[in-house]
Amino acid sequence: MTAGSRLPWLVVPAALLLLAVYVWPTLGLFRTAFNEVGPTGAMIEAWSLKTTGEVLADSFTIELTLNSLWLSLSATLIALCMAYPVSLFLFRTQSRFRGLLAVIAIMPMLVSGVVRVFGWLAILGDRGLVNSLAQWLGLISTPMRLVFNWTGVTIGLAESIMPYMILALLAGFGRLDRTLEEAARSLGCTPLRTFLRVTLPLSLPALALAAGLGFVLSMSAYITPKLLGGGRVFVLATEIFEQATTNTNWPVAAVLAIYTLVLLLALLMFSNVAARRLQR
Amino acid sequence: MSYLELAGLQKRYRDSVAVDDVALSVEKGEAVALLGPSGCGKTTTLRMLAGLIDPDAGSIRLDGAEITRQPAHKRNMGYVFQSYALFPHLSVARNVGFGLEERRVPRPETARRVEEALGMVRLSGLEGRRPRELSGGQQQRVALARALVIRPSVLLLDESLSNLDAKLRDAMRHEIRDIQRSLGITTLFVTHDQVEALTMCDRIAVMKRGRIEQIGTPEDIYERPATRFVADFVGRANVLPAMRNGAGAISVWGVTLPATAPADGEVDVFVRPQRIRLAASGEPSGEGMVQLTGRVLRSVFVGDHVEVIVEGAGGQLSVEMQSGTKPPAAGTEVAVLWQAGDTLLFPREAT
Amino acid sequence: MNGAGPVLSTLAGIVYALILAPIVVVVALAFSADNFILFPPSGYSLRWFQQLAGNTPLLNAVVLSAQIACLVTALSLLLGVPAALALDKGRFRGQEALKNFFLAPLLLPTLIVGLALLLFFTPLRLTATLPGLVLGHMTVTLPFVIRMMTTAFSTLPDDIEAAASTLGAKPWRVIWRVTLPLATPGLIACGALSFLLSFDETVISLFLSGPRASTLPVEMVRYVEGRTDPLVAALSVILIVATLIIVVLVERLVGVARAVGQ
Repeated sequence: MTAGSRLPWLVVPAALLLLAVYVWPTLGLFRTAFNEVGPTGAMIEAWSLKTTGEVLADSFTIELTLNSLWLSLSATLIALCMAYPVSLFLFRTQSRFRGLLAVIAIMPMLVSGVVRVFGWLAILGDRGLVNSLAQWLGLISTPMRLVFNWTGVTIGLAESIMPYMILALLAGFGRLDRTLEEAARSLGCTPLRTFLRVTLPLSLPALALAAGLGFVLSMSAYITPKLLGGGRVFVLATEIFEQATTNTNWPVAAVLAIYTLVLLLALLMFSNVAARRLQR
Repeated sequence: MSYLELAGLQKRYRDSVAVDDVALSVEKGEAVALLGPSGCGKTTTLRMLAGLIDPDAGSIRLDGAEITRQPAHKRNMGYVFQSYALFPHLSVARNVGFGLEERRVPRPETARRVEEALGMVRLSGLEGRRPRELSGGQQQRVALARALVIRPSVLLLDESLSNLDAKLRDAMRHEIRDIQRSLGITTLFVTHDQVEALTMCDRIAVMKRGRIEQIGTPEDIYERPATRFVADFVGRANVLPAMRNGAGAISVWGVTLPATAPADGEVDVFVRPQRIRLAASGEPSGEGMVQLTGRVLRSVFVGDHVEVIVEGAGGQLSVEMQSGTKPPAAGTEVAVLWQAGDTLLFPREAT
Repeated sequence: MNGAGPVLSTLAGIVYALILAPIVVVVALAFSADNFILFPPSGYSLRWFQQLAGNTPLLNAVVLSAQIACLVTALSLLLGVPAALALDKGRFRGQEALKNFFLAPLLLPTLIVGLALLLFFTPLRLTATLPGLVLGHMTVTLPFVIRMMTTAFSTLPDDIEAAASTLGAKPWRVIWRVTLPLATPGLIACGALSFLLSFDETVISLFLSGPRASTLPVEMVRYVEGRTDPLVAALSVILIVATLIIVVLVERLVGVARAVGQ
């Protein structure tokens, strides 16, 4: 063929590197989950499920899980409602600025998360844009608490996952054929009816996949809950980081990480099955 | 032994066979077409010749040397791709000189040969252009020059004219044929266009489902098709179902033909529309002529000829009359005549 | 029925405003004259840019992040491009499995990867070191480069490479003279994006940074956690402008949506 038989060897360096710094550490993470924590807080090498049992029995774990799920659900729904019109717009527009508009839509993905969080602090803070505006209009007299609580985290998270969902939706719009909508219009459907009867049903699989992606990204987001939560928002991601760094309680961090992974895997499988069901 | 010998060539893809037991001998300087519908394995055969696909079985010999397993870059075959496959990042001159650079031909000689090749395809003066700045016809000439400049042992053309418009295609057909003749270069064309095959080649190999159905000169293929498929694929033909009446004799539209059916089973009669003549009904048929009678259904002006549809006892047939002659009016009773020798008989195929 | 229609365009416009809001606000805030985050600012000045010029920890972090991003990009291309070539052009057993293996890291959240690397690097004393951070970032950029370049190579027209080999070019010469030149726009885009990925990588860096070596996003997180003044906004403006320049260049070359998407 066009290339020699020695060509396959070119994958070896990359494969070795990933084995060393990706596969091996991940296996190490699983191994650590079986270790125990001694009374002094030091890690004790072991092959036991003691740590797992303790973490799963802890009511705080359940609280964290519910927090994470609720936060991810609300952020995903908000982001989906915003990403859908933008994707549909980008899919349809014939503007010569389409490329530029697409770049702006996924801009948050390319700007550092910390920068965007800082922007939300300036918009939602006590002396931020929203409160200044509301006070100037005389709607409120004392500032609303919009950051360092669940509201701020939900808004910031929704914005940070949106570009990924826009890309997922755009990729999934392949089946959306303009002539089908034109056919519906020619058969007497109003634009709204056309949207409800043709466009929306055809884009349901893409919506399911995008929602799954958004959910997974929200569940594992750390920076936004940490900074916009101001230490008052506790989710699985923040707890994993705290346990690993501040508490240096590695076995617990590892168990929580694997627990989160299992949740994510279940969610991904669910959204894939849903998308496939909707495809029919 | 011929210059180029293919024997027992075979290529499978999973459960389908793309090329099956293809054998072909090509003499030095000869131009041979591989003609067939899409998916018949002609391009696969050509790519195996160029070393772009490894055959599963069989052998390719060039000038007595076995080259079946030789990699593409050692074969010295000039390949003109259907898409032209010009290098978009190189100028016309660098495109044409590519093969010479790879052969470490000294620079002055490369320059001279590139110039010569571009002159041959009448593109002198466009050396500095990029491929995307050329028209389709010019791109095709560059591709041809690039393949010729390496003085290939065999020139391979893969549907090379199919992306050109009809006028340009006619012109290029003659141009390529002239270059091929004057250089005396052994050439294999792959095409699904019978006119291309008939006009550009010394011999034609008609392929169907990975196998060669018939090899012969253009006249052989057109006048004496070996199989029903060849008769059907090359040129137009009226297909008239024949009836057997007893002792090997057959009849069409109730008229017994001066021919005998070759084997058992149902038989169809093939007659080319250009070989049929219309005459006034009741005119006595000449010696060795087949004569049927029918009624003119309609006639259609097609430009270079007039097509007349005649309906008879056993169905319809079409007749090509020279343009400029006045076709009989619809409803006229006519006699349909052709030379007995123009009758082709093939067993009927189960559809 | 052409284009997007007024209703959809309006909706999209509103969302665009929300997408751009934090970035616009950050830019405005960078020129604030106030001591704290107040929007709209009561006055405008360049004082936060001057402050930034004197902030050694942040400037050191910028230098370290740039060094890491350069190294990460160079190494990822060096390892990733040959791997992508082999995955696209080669024909060998286990090729599909290997493709999936190289894409898998993109699925694992950086939170998990960061934790795993922390546990792995600590006994090796690689945390808070340049090599440790470079290796950590490469778990993200290397699979990214491999995926993007495999796509770039596979979308090249097949016949062009075949043409080079019929003209006598050996397999390695085909790659050198045809495949790589044709993939150059993709290569540049790929390099630019992996630079950005590494420069902006926050979570893995948070796990692997320490007093000895701290990247810019980590320093920014620390700063925002501790204080709320417009200094970070000034820094952000510089970063946004730099990012924009890179993004526009990439968009010119290949189209970002195509480069980032599947």
